[in-house]
Amino acid sequence: MSRYRIPGKGRVDHSAPVSFTFDGKTYRGLRGDSVASALLANGVHLMGRSFKYHRPRGAVSAGSEEPNALIGTSRGAGRFEPNTRATVQELRAGLVTESQNKWPNLSFDVGAINDRAYMLFSAGFYYKTFMWPKSFWDKIYEPVIRGAAGLGKSPTEPDPDHYASRYLHTDVLIVGAGPAGIAAALSAAQSGADVTLVDENPEMGGSLLSDPAVQIDGKPAWDWVEGQLGRLRAAGVRLMTRTTAIGYYHQNMVGLCQRLTDHLDNPPKGAPRERMWRVRAGQVVLAQGALEKPLVFDGNDRPGVMLASAAQTYLHKYGVKVGNNPAVITSHDSAWYAAFDLSDNGAKVAAIIDTRDSVRPDLAEGARKRGIEVLNGHTVTTTKGRLRVKSVRAAPVRGTHVGTGRSIPCDCLLMSGGWTPSLHLFSHTKGSLAWDGASNTFLPDRKTEECEIAGAGRGLWGYEAVLADGAAAGLRALEGLGRAGHEGRFTVANDRPGTGVSHTELPTDGNAGKARAFIDFQNDVTAKDIRLAVREGMRSIEHVKRYTTNGMATDQGKMSNINGLMIAADALGKQPPQVGLTTFRPPYTPTSFGAFCGYLRGETFQLTRKTPIDPWAEANGAVFEPVAQWRRAWYFPKPGEDMHAAVLRECKATRASLGIFDASTLGKIEVAGPDAVEFMNRMYTNPWTKLAPGRCRYGLLLGEDGFIRDDGVIGRLSPDLFHVTTTTGGAARVLTMMEDYLQTEWPELDVWLTSTTEQWATVALNGPNALTMLKPLVEGVNWDDFPHMSCAECTVAGLPARLFRLSFTGEVGFEVNVPARHGLTLWKALMEAGKPYDICPYGTETMHVLRAEKGYIIVGQDTDGTVTPADAGLEWAIGKAKKDFVGKRSLSRPDIVAKGRKQLVGLLTEDGSLLQEGAQIVLDPNQPKPMKMVGHVTSSYQSTMGHPIAMAVIEGGFDKMGETVFIPMPDGVRKAKITSTVFYDPQNERLKA
Amino acid sequence: MTNQKHQFDASPVLVEDLAPAPRMSLRVKPAHRATLGQALGLDLPTRVGARVAAGGTEALCLGPDEWLIVAPEGTDLAAPARAVYADAPHSLVDISDREITLRLTGPAVLDLLAACCPRNVAAMPVGSAARTVFDSATVILWRDGPTDFRMDIWRSFAPHVGSLLSQVRQEIAAGL
Repeated sequence: MSRYRIPGKGRVDHSAPVSFTFDGKTYRGLRGDSVASALLANGVHLMGRSFKYHRPRGAVSAGSEEPNALIGTSRGAGRFEPNTRATVQELRAGLVTESQNKWPNLSFDVGAINDRAYMLFSAGFYYKTFMWPKSFWDKIYEPVIRGAAGLGKSPTEPDPDHYASRYLHTDVLIVGAGPAGIAAALSAAQSGADVTLVDENPEMGGSLLSDPAVQIDGKPAWDWVEGQLGRLRAAGVRLMTRTTAIGYYHQNMVGLCQRLTDHLDNPPKGAPRERMWRVRAGQVVLAQGALEKPLVFDGNDRPGVMLASAAQTYLHKYGVKVGNNPAVITSHDSAWYAAFDLSDNGAKVAAIIDTRDSVRPDLAEGARKRGIEVLNGHTVTTTKGRLRVKSVRAAPVRGTHVGTGRSIPCDCLLMSGGWTPSLHLFSHTKGSLAWDGASNTFLPDRKTEECEIAGAGRGLWGYEAVLADGAAAGLRALEGLGRAGHEGRFTVANDRPGTGVSHTELPTDGNAGKARAFIDFQNDVTAKDIRLAVREGMRSIEHVKRYTTNGMATDQGKMSNINGLMIAADALGKQPPQVGLTTFRPPYTPTSFGAFCGYLRGETFQLTRKTPIDPWAEANGAVFEPVAQWRRAWYFPKPGEDMHAAVLRECKATRASLGIFDASTLGKIEVAGPDAVEFMNRMYTNPWTKLAPGRCRYGLLLGEDGFIRDDGVIGRLSPDLFHVTTTTGGAARVLTMMEDYLQTEWPELDVWLTSTTEQWATVALNGPNALTMLKPLVEGVNWDDFPHMSCAECTVAGLPARLFRLSFTGEVGFEVNVPARHGLTLWKALMEAGKPYDICPYGTETMHVLRAEKGYIIVGQDTDGTVTPADAGLEWAIGKAKKDFVGKRSLSRPDIVAKGRKQLVGLLTEDGSLLQEGAQIVLDPNQPKPMKMVGHVTSSYQSTMGHPIAMAVIEGGFDKMGETVFIPMPDGVRKAKITSTVFYDPQNERLKA
Repeated sequence: MTNQKHQFDASPVLVEDLAPAPRMSLRVKPAHRATLGQALGLDLPTRVGARVAAGGTEALCLGPDEWLIVAPEGTDLAAPARAVYADAPHSLVDISDREITLRLTGPAVLDLLAACCPRNVAAMPVGSAARTVFDSATVILWRDGPTDFRMDIWRSFAPHVGSLLSQVRQEIAAGL
């Protein structure tokens, strides 16, 4: 075992070695280690290079706030992850890790030249340095900066892991399972309340795991934690470890990211890597604790310089001494305990340097007893050591004078600048914060959600105080649910209370302008950068932040925000709250895209609706296209056919004999009741009163503004029953619009709407042989009285059916509706019966071509929400005698009846070329740019008539029949003649067959 | 790790397709609710989510004027309803084919549902039902027992829902 691991100590399993690699070298750690603790146990402090200056860096923390020790981790193809925090990643067998931002290697890095040139890279350097010459920006500066920027390599392969999602409803959600959170859970888990306790760490217990000497109710801390967790489990409390509360949203919704497999050697097959929980909680207790602040001095980022609490955690949780010869620089009592614990475990503490002139007598006595030198009223002016700290220079401070310093050799330096309550989640709720001048921190103030904040998270210190506060918060949460319980009381022995003072940069006798005193380790922001930003005019902390990038890295300034604020406030000569605090945003810690994505990838990426006939289309080689949420058969290519050839064949087969088409996606609404006809009269432009049962009519639906919203053929099955069809994409919208009118405008009508889109599978038959082929299959229709635009309830191929005779192709056409379960049966029966007529299945593209040849519009393609019935040439569909219908009033507005509106016309190109849909149209191609555009092409297809056809909306188009317009395209200007939209069989002879 | 095994027999959750049954959407104004109820032999409940059953026919209140009625194969609801149409105008639409119904059972069924349903399914009383969503599909969820549910899904949404259910079942089987 390494010389930094203390045999038998910590919560790691000393009998279970785990090997892993870091930068190609194999190391041994223990089960229960983090990558950082395992490396430290091997004496490795150097774990990465910094973002901007490529300075050597080591772990500065032992938790999720880590800004420095960011590594790449891998578990095989597609499972590489950059910027994993070495302090969070648990060791697992065969884990491959690598350092980042270095070349050729971690200890000798060419990029470190940036560090020598640091004067060039001051705050806002990119705003100043790369301004000129302007032409250099696109070609040189930006590509180079982009190449150099970013930390870690992005993965290039698709992620093969699964990610899961889960909703959870719980009475009380407690975030953080330290002493306050556990105490809160004990209070809340009474009277049958459903309680959930989550913690981001692999084990619950929080700071108690790093303070085993503390005794609660007479039990050592670890035994107490185990006992209480057992009690909670027995009470049915949901205990979730490795689960980070990433965001706190409206109405007590909290997002949790649970990491399930990253710590396992062999994850079970099919297990998700992470699960995102969306929790709706009756009450939330935030017991997130506090994060230790670094002190700001020259060389505070050297490997081996770390937070005192981190050293304490490595010692007690992992049994790792971070050094044999640590020095301590602190302004808070808590670091003294870290020094004591290290000393008690065999480290030779070089000195405790405290910025305060005096400390509590028991602390001074503790140091004396252990033979630790104490330097009160001292500062640290610099550190030395290339890849690892070797010495620290301490100097006495008298008032503002810094006396002569001396160098103290050490192999690590533990720092503590006090503690910052973790208010991230509370800030997500837009709860307000109040500045506490005594502790120089922000504390939670006004709440906006049903939440309690407990323990160190609201500035308390010492275990007894924190436990009592947690118990009280848990009880308040319980009472907030209208339940009762009693509040637990805890007695604590060997408590570790403490206070401290807060600093800006530590005073120095050196050149402050040259000090490399870091605030934001991850973004390489120094104290000097903050002061420069203020000198250059930044007044708000939000501006200082963006100018210096302080707090803008993935750690969101967990360590740097308060130090940055204190220094900015000092430079401005203001109180910190007047300078403000930057906004915390979710997620609390970096969260994988996979966790957000959940199941919504691959075939469940997006909901895709399929018709009952879809399996046949798939088996028969259909190419599909998405239409609204549906996937529809687009065309059915035969071997060797491209889309154009397939569509032309399908069109010709339909016109020549018989085509079959899956129209099941058409929206269908059953309009039923004594007032059905009145309702139809009010909704649609057309008159319905005289439509006899057994007949159909093309219906046009407008918005209140008079513009076309939807259309479809509507059959009257009985006096009180209409079978309405809508466009595929419009089905839900039309039903909603109808319900809206019915419920809010005409509640007196006795009529009801039911969506039957999915009740019916719809098969369209079109072609000159459609009637001949269908007749023998139908029972219950009087063919002598079944002309074009008729409907009937009957049977088709022995199946109950609603049969419509209508046409969207210009040929004789039928739509057969059967209950959806029979859709495929019907399709197959029709395919069989159609064989003698060379029945040809066709897709949506052929449907589009055939309808365009007849000038039938598609709402949403030939209309765009600004087209009136008159603009589309559909004035015939308006019941002029009707008193009212939706949109009627708007049709008489001056600008709706004005001349020169865009009108739907046909276009034929002079050179027989195919126009592009969406192409803009001009009257004079030689006019200066920008040209006056008078309209655009809405539909354009190769047709069955040997030349392409197009439809377009053109200003005053109806008065320009026969005139020539121009369509400028990248490859030249096209000439086209304005025509009628009806290209095929304008006399409708073919429908009468 | 839990001690769940990958045994098929001990599957923590089962998903079965149910055979289609006559299913009607009834819309009638509150004033005529009782008349319709009488005609159909059902005391149509007035609280949304409440169910009533008589002779194998079951009615679920989905809204102040909306009921979903599920009946055994061969039941004719249309004729008795038609008989009172003049006095109690209403709409009774056959939607037997609009939805398909899955039966979801087993000890992990609440986890299965919680994967994609934002509603507090665990809080649904046994014997109630609710119109809700499963991922982005509208469904009707019937709770027939503590771990016994039916889910009506619009037919075209079923492949998507089915694919999600199978992913979540695998996840549950993995035991994490």
